[in-house]
Amino acid sequence: MEPSTPEDVSRRGFLGRMIFGLGGAIAAVLGGAGGAYFLSPAFKKEAEDWVDIGSASSVKPGMPAKMEFVERKRDAWVTTERRSFAWVLTSNGKDFIAYDPRCTHLGCPYRWDSDKRQFVCPCHTAVFDVDGRVVSGPPPRGLDRFPTKVVGGRLLIRPQPEQVKA
Amino acid sequence: MKPLIDWFCDRTGFDRVWETLFARHIPEAKGPVSWLYTLGSASMFIFTLQAVTGALLAMSYVPDPGHAYDSVRYINEHVLLGGFIHGLHKWGATFMVVVGVLHMLRVYFMGAYKYPRELTWIAGVGLFLLVMGFSFTGYLLPWDQKAYFATAVGTNIAGQTPVVGPYVAKVLKGGSDLGAATLTRFFAFHVLFLPALTGLLIGVHLFLVIWHGISEPPERKS
Repeated sequence: MEPSTPEDVSRRGFLGRMIFGLGGAIAAVLGGAGGAYFLSPAFKKEAEDWVDIGSASSVKPGMPAKMEFVERKRDAWVTTERRSFAWVLTSNGKDFIAYDPRCTHLGCPYRWDSDKRQFVCPCHTAVFDVDGRVVSGPPPRGLDRFPTKVVGGRLLIRPQPEQVKA
Repeated sequence: MKPLIDWFCDRTGFDRVWETLFARHIPEAKGPVSWLYTLGSASMFIFTLQAVTGALLAMSYVPDPGHAYDSVRYINEHVLLGGFIHGLHKWGATFMVVVGVLHMLRVYFMGAYKYPRELTWIAGVGLFLLVMGFSFTGYLLPWDQKAYFATAVGTNIAGQTPVVGPYVAKVLKGGSDLGAATLTRFFAFHVLFLPALTGLLIGVHLFLVIWHGISEPPERKS
């Protein structure tokens, strides 16, 4: 490459290019950082909030247990606590099902009728069987479930209800 | 691109605006002295930086005693590059004062404030006072121990003024105690009143700088 002569690059031209080059670099760094900061909510992964609701062995097989828990929800810099409960069921002490305690019709809390072995909702006389299926009444679908897992003998749920496909 | 630029310039006279703003004559200074002429532009760059990073920070900041500290922590720990943007704003604030003062010293020692540029100097002093206002109000916003007690000291100093002091302190604090009302007040000043005034004064200052041109460096008496 030929060495550049003063005619090729004037002082003015050089400084002009420096201004736009460095200015562009600064704008790129600022724009990139600021843009990433601004757009980051679009790429943020939601945290999986498992809640410990009690000992797994406290649920007797075949008998739905009402288990209360406190859900700690992080909303950016605000942490809110919500008391709630779930109906937990197990057939073998290893696999657990946790039902959202709200009726799928209009969200009323239902109860367990141990004589009939059915969940009954007082609001509009909805009835669900022990597997959460609709027996009678207006609900559009069976009981919603919370994902469950057992870690070290403790029963954990994720208190975001999931619909069960019919 | 060229036809578009021509179309634009034809309707706005922007080529002449560009010439007036950027292709104007500036003093011929040599060596290290020439760098002193960059301090004004540097101050304005930092102001722009503060405006941009400040707007970004305001997206996740709450001026409330219950949440201010947690929202700042949220920015630093949970927002992508939040710590970087916060850091830029914090260091930008420091350099705003440093570069602004250096700019004033350059103008003062070169006698550049003299006729006909007195009004430029006065606008500049106004801008310096606004920077002090930004520093004072911005320092409270993180709502940590340092912020709280620095503002307690600052408002107590204001309270020492004879006769009007106690009233000035109450107006600053939005009440007799430093608390929630102080934080919202300082926030409003920091993000609404002061930026508006600063924009206005920068306009005046820059208009006068271009109107009068930049003064030559003083010559040594032979």
